[in-house]
Amino acid sequence: MQVFTSVLVLGVFIEIFIVNDINSHKKRKANSMIGLAQVVSTNSISTLRFQDNEAAKNILSELLNVAPDITHAVVFDSSGKIFASYEKLGADSLTIPATLNDQEYVYTEKQLYVKSDIVNDHDRLGRVVLEVALTELIDTKAFEYKLAVTLFLIGLAFSFFVAFIIQAYISRRLLKLVDVMKAAGETGDYSKSIPDDGKDEISVLSRVFNNLMQQVSENQRRKDEFIGIASHELKTPLTSIKGYLELLNGVEEKEPNKQFVQKATQGVHKLEKLIKDLLDVSKIQSGQLELNKQEFDINQLLDETVASFQIVSKTHRIIIEGNPGRCIVVADRQRIEQVLINLLSNAIKYSAGAKTVMVYSKKNEKDLIIQIRDFGIGVSKSEQSNIFERFYRSKSNSVHVAGFGLGLYICREIIEGHGGKMWVDTEKKGSSFYFSLPIINI
Amino acid sequence: MTMKKILVVDDDADILVLMQLTLKMHDFQVEVISTWQQINETITNFNPDLIILDVSLNGADGRDICRTIKESPLTAHIPVILFSANAELGKNFKESRAQAFIAKPYELSDLLKTIKRNLN
Repeated sequence: MQVFTSVLVLGVFIEIFIVNDINSHKKRKANSMIGLAQVVSTNSISTLRFQDNEAAKNILSELLNVAPDITHAVVFDSSGKIFASYEKLGADSLTIPATLNDQEYVYTEKQLYVKSDIVNDHDRLGRVVLEVALTELIDTKAFEYKLAVTLFLIGLAFSFFVAFIIQAYISRRLLKLVDVMKAAGETGDYSKSIPDDGKDEISVLSRVFNNLMQQVSENQRRKDEFIGIASHELKTPLTSIKGYLELLNGVEEKEPNKQFVQKATQGVHKLEKLIKDLLDVSKIQSGQLELNKQEFDINQLLDETVASFQIVSKTHRIIIEGNPGRCIVVADRQRIEQVLINLLSNAIKYSAGAKTVMVYSKKNEKDLIIQIRDFGIGVSKSEQSNIFERFYRSKSNSVHVAGFGLGLYICREIIEGHGGKMWVDTEKKGSSFYFSLPIINI
Repeated sequence: MTMKKILVVDDDADILVLMQLTLKMHDFQVEVISTWQQINETITNFNPDLIILDVSLNGADGRDICRTIKESPLTAHIPVILFSANAELGKNFKESRAQAFIAKPYELSDLLKTIKRNLN
């Protein structure tokens, strides 16, 4: 943009310079020709008095030696008739512009016309009119424009060259800044800073950025500290509550007391899961979700998880289909189990009234794809991209389902942390949640 | 059969009472202390078969205390179970030579299973 503006300004200045130069050239030319016409008119006084055409013609033809660009020179008598004339060889016929009567000189496109009255003792004897070809002026004009274009191009090239060097220097520093920003965004490590001691705007930007990074880093440290303390402080009383409820459950036989205890225990389990989820989210956000990866057979984990889930679920039958046998992945077993449990419990939660949940396990060359299909309320197309966001709760559900809207977000982050993908598809009835994991082919 | 003796160290009084009740109900002889400074003295007097030790103790790290227990020839043989509300702290529990780690809030069945496994 700056280069463009500079070039435009340069162009305008060159144009002004040329126009100015041409105008002053025109004025000089007109003055010198008027001077010449006056000399001729003075010399023509006697020729007019004595009606000596030949002498007048001679005077006019001598003009050729003085000013070779004069194409016509005419002496008119007092009645306006041609008294004597001179025409340069090869010149076009003479047409005097009417406006010359009122002005001393007139410029047309290719000619200059000047006049001078022949006056002797206040007696107007006639007039001298000169027609001058402007070849010299046209040549000068062409030359100046050529020069201007050349200068303009040189200026343009030079400014691009300078801009290129400056831009490379600026870009390098800006890209470095962008790299650090990107790295911080991806890794969650805000402790890096950019050394820049300069005094220009980019240095100021770098310093402001460094300060910002420091603040973020400090806030993150405080947040982590807070989460550590909060999770400890929340879990300690929860341990007591849970422990006492378990004791009570062991000793209480009477109904409905036992039922109350069990209800309270369910509440504690929910609370416990919620605290775990919040902790997971905060770990994901600060890039501290560590995956303890090891080799294991994911289909065995799938069988085990479904089996233990089946014991708890009294409403749905969970059917595994298409189990392709042993399938080794390098992953965090506990975290993958967490994903499976989350998807299975969602499938049951959101399909009240249905009786089955299907689980498919498919293997291709690189990945294993697990599909968990329910026959419940489904996910509308418009919500498909939102349900993996934090704190997103489906708005189309007529049934209220408890939860914080963190489960799917955590699941997707866990799967993506393993290099896999997670997505959802709407079925004719219900929905299918999929996730893929890279497998090791043995 | 003599009752197995368990020492519980935690700075939270509620947890201590709960542990005492739970373990007694499951036929263990229990001693609880809330300050880690008393630990050596209690081990000498009580002579526990197993120690359950909180990681975040007021003013000390349970993992360091565990290491000290394991370094002394007099106490090295006693199995130690670390427990904490911060599951992160349990990641490298083996470095402090503890036998197991339990995250709070624990399942009673898990706690009993872990205790029994380490007593045998």
